[in-house]
Amino acid sequence: MRIGIVSPYSFDVPGGVQNHIMDLAEALIELGHEVSVLAPADDDADVPAYVVSAGRAVPLPYNGSVARISFGPISTARVRRWLKNGEFDVLHVHEPFSPSLSFLAVLSARGPVVATFHTAMTRSRALAGLQNFLQPVMEKITARIAVSELARKVQVEHLGGGAVEIPNGVAVRKFASAAPLPGWPGDGGTLGFLGRFTEPRKGFPLLRTAYVALARERPGLRLLVAGPGDRDELYDDIPAELHDRVEFLGLVSEPDKARMLRSVDVYVAPNTGGESFGMILTEAMAAGATIAASDLDAFRRVLDGGRAGALFPNGDQASLTRLLGELLDDPARRAELASCARLVVGAFDWPSVANRVLEVYATAIEATDGRVFDDEWS
Amino acid sequence: MPGMWWVVGVVVLAAIFSAYLGWTAQRVERLHTRAQSAERALDAHLMRRAAAAAVVAEQAETVELYAAARLALDAEPGDRESAENDLTRQLQAVPLDPADPAVRTLIATSRRVVLARQVHTDLVRDALSARRRVFVRLLRLDRRYTRPEYFDIVEPVLPDLPPLPAVLTVPTPAPPAEPPLPAQAR
Repeated sequence: MRIGIVSPYSFDVPGGVQNHIMDLAEALIELGHEVSVLAPADDDADVPAYVVSAGRAVPLPYNGSVARISFGPISTARVRRWLKNGEFDVLHVHEPFSPSLSFLAVLSARGPVVATFHTAMTRSRALAGLQNFLQPVMEKITARIAVSELARKVQVEHLGGGAVEIPNGVAVRKFASAAPLPGWPGDGGTLGFLGRFTEPRKGFPLLRTAYVALARERPGLRLLVAGPGDRDELYDDIPAELHDRVEFLGLVSEPDKARMLRSVDVYVAPNTGGESFGMILTEAMAAGATIAASDLDAFRRVLDGGRAGALFPNGDQASLTRLLGELLDDPARRAELASCARLVVGAFDWPSVANRVLEVYATAIEATDGRVFDDEWS
Repeated sequence: MPGMWWVVGVVVLAAIFSAYLGWTAQRVERLHTRAQSAERALDAHLMRRAAAAAVVAEQAETVELYAAARLALDAEPGDRESAENDLTRQLQAVPLDPADPAVRTLIATSRRVVLARQVHTDLVRDALSARRRVFVRLLRLDRRYTRPEYFDIVEPVLPDLPPLPAVLTVPTPAPPAEPPLPAQAR
């Protein structure tokens, strides 16, 4: 089938939505479909072959961060031309209610439109106020996808439409085949953490306290930390004698993230709240790491109720320390959890996620022109 | 002349108003057509699910499931919803083996029913909200279309993740020399 995908954000800046779109497009192409992605980009920007540029992007603060988007008459013309030349069977827009190409594409669309909602938008009151104004736009969307339970709830409660929940995919192969960093995980055991360690809801202080306690009894135990943040700030709270056993990688690229996750014995997610899905857990599962995570609803769901990773009561310092000690001392249990994780993560692998998206495409096409497909889409 | 401007103003307003009415009429037509298409698609997927369930029931020789599938296939419009609900209840009660191709087809068709119903509900809601608009009601722009109806059934979800092998829940002793990450061995 011919699929047109619209990205609201420029690929120049990495981000969750952009990664999602690229992985989805590649998975669909691999399944034998024709895919064209319309995205804001400089005309000389280095983008994959399936990306069509809709002109230069301008930075705009949106939803708590700076997004690079295109909006305006020139963009509208380019969107129209792309739609006309593409002759798509289905149009798939992401974040259609941001002022972006996605919104313009929905306005100009004729046929079946599928929309994916990524963020659980907090500005829902503003959105609810705009509901009357947005109604004609909403009506053009045939089927809706939400990437998390939270995003789906916002849809249902504030925009009065249902949505199918299809989780974010993970490129299992990329993570499973990455080479560990040289010298890691080592014989003494390695704990891993990825994320903004200064952000309280990521729960890093819990892991830090647990690590300091465990490292005193286990001379070889090391800690691998990646993510944005200031190196000094990380080391300030760790006793000086442990400094050479804590490695800080800073902000890592996607390939380095995979290598980092391959380099740990136990990946720790001590988050205390605010997680809607737990993308990092699926990535750690794909990399074959054993996972210890707080028992947030989102984590519990991804980890299949604790079978694909060990859970500890949210915020409970003593439980986390005890759990990590048990896992480090028990390679058999680690192997068992990791092999279970490998099975569970199959449901989040891009080919199977792309197949579920294709089912939504088929449903949207059927609801628009009354065709009913004979072949199964999975 | 002030009189001229008054006339021009009325003409412009009338033009805007008739453009709005034309747009609304088109919108009403589009929404009704879509709701009808969605209904046809939902109907087709329900048929497919019932047929797939009948195949599974024949294989497993479960009489109740087969009867429920037949009833769903033959149901009159008025009884359709309860017949489909019965079928869903039967399907959720019988043990299904995901390794069986017939069961896999059944699970896939159930997933499509869930999607088709979701989209159908949304499109019916859109069409009904268009029918409630003031000018649509005053000018009876909807008189040419039958009123779309919701199809009210319980969510016919079947578990689509295969249950994990039981052996994994028992701790398996691993040789201590084996590294926890396979790539190390390469």
